[in-house]
Amino acid sequence: MDRPELFTLDDVSLVIEGRRILDHVDEHLHDGVATAIAGPSGSGKSTLLRLLNRLAEPTSGRVLFRGTDVRDLDVLALRRRAVLVPQRATPLTEDVAAEVRVAAPQLTDAEVRSLLARVALDPDEVLGRTPSSLSGGELQRLCLARALAVGPEALLLDEPTSALDPRSADAVDEVIRSLVASGLAVVLVSHDVARADRVADDVRVLHEGRVTARGASGSLDLEHELMSPPTDGHVHDTDDPRAHGSKHLPHEHDDSVRTADLPEQP
Amino acid sequence: MTQIPSWTAVAVSVLLVLVAVAIASWQRLGISREIVVAAVRALVQLLAIGAVLAWLFAHAGIAGALAWIFAMTFVAANESRRRGHGIPRAYAAALVGIVVGTASTLGVLVLGGVISTEPQVLIPIGGMVVSGSMQAASLTLTSLRRSAVENRSAIEAALSLGLPAPQAFAREMRTAVRTALVPTVDSTRVVGLISLPGTMTGLIIAGVDPLQAIRYQIIVMYMLLAAWAVSALVTARAAQGSLFDDAQRLVPIAA
Repeated sequence: MDRPELFTLDDVSLVIEGRRILDHVDEHLHDGVATAIAGPSGSGKSTLLRLLNRLAEPTSGRVLFRGTDVRDLDVLALRRRAVLVPQRATPLTEDVAAEVRVAAPQLTDAEVRSLLARVALDPDEVLGRTPSSLSGGELQRLCLARALAVGPEALLLDEPTSALDPRSADAVDEVIRSLVASGLAVVLVSHDVARADRVADDVRVLHEGRVTARGASGSLDLEHELMSPPTDGHVHDTDDPRAHGSKHLPHEHDDSVRTADLPEQP
Repeated sequence: MTQIPSWTAVAVSVLLVLVAVAIASWQRLGISREIVVAAVRALVQLLAIGAVLAWLFAHAGIAGALAWIFAMTFVAANESRRRGHGIPRAYAAALVGIVVGTASTLGVLVLGGVISTEPQVLIPIGGMVVSGSMQAASLTLTSLRRSAVENRSAIEAALSLGLPAPQAFAREMRTAVRTALVPTVDSTRVVGLISLPGTMTGLIIAGVDPLQAIRYQIIVMYMLLAAWAVSALVTARAAQGSLFDDAQRLVPIAA
């Protein structure tokens, strides 16, 4: 099936102090799927993510959100429609419920509980605690709940699992998959290509500011792509990124992860 | 009035400089020369400011006194800007904070009839207000600069939730203003216990009854509280305006 375009990067370059962070990037990121931007550190992938919510501005080229130049959108509205969750899970309050409400103060208690459940946090267990007392994986999921609270159309995740042990990272990936399954678009950035390939539907490999490979997950020899330096005009396009179905992680129905019987977002 | 020391008395006090120089050379501290230079500089600077003040008191009138205070705010802002190094337009932020802090505090004192408008009152009182406002602006800029660098990740997390800059930066703003007010609140709390402050000391030496001298000191302490608070708040607001751009982004802070 054809998915509408969520973000379009139109010949985007970014130069900071003479260093070319992004080099003529042309990309189409689609709605309703998880797209991973994988690459080694310094490849420009976090910067690319920051262009999408205007935390960064391209030196040349355009970024479109649903066909509209992001510069023509109200920046606060854009950031509520596409919420970026930064790499370091940083609490902004001293209380779990307050953390969920930080950008959505109108939420009822029931809505807060529902959001916590949606990211596989047990409300009875975490409510009343301080965010900093949570484990790294729990805190990362709380940051996801805080982002979901504003009712976004897309989540932009910067290395959502890089600071976590494999088990906690799997739990976060499960939540990301369940969110995508519920219709949310996700763009995530990761240096862990194998993990990115497992969680995402589409994968882009970024190398020295250029997309060197793109395709449906599982279709790319990613380790190979990652190691090969970019060459002019050479992009491995192994699959039409608009054409693929939904994705299932092998352990999606694992009972230890509480995603199956959770209420929908309020 | 008690007797004010004559120039002969000042000449005698030079012996005290010689005491310091003697100790320095006897103990081979290597700073004899610096002591002499410092003592001479102090003499020249105070002679100059004494002459300027004498002229101002005689000729300036209220307009001249206010102009003098206004000029001091520029010098003070130039001093504060260094604390905000890396914050765009730190000089403007400090200047507007110091000017508003000074003008509002002096305005209340003058319009409320608390102090007289003679230059020999306005200029020293104005100097204290400008100096207090400057310290508040400096501490505010120091704190804002530090938190803009250290808390960038949290600030950007808040901006990324679609919060406008004033909300995303609210914690840092509160911290900056609170930090700036701590010294003056502390010194107000312990005034008279640890040290006898300058205004009171000066009046007592000049022969004023201590119970009258403290009235002036009380007014000075209270006016400094206001000057610090207004200057810190206005400086912080102005700096916040420069720390975020039109797209609600925290600008890069130069090292």
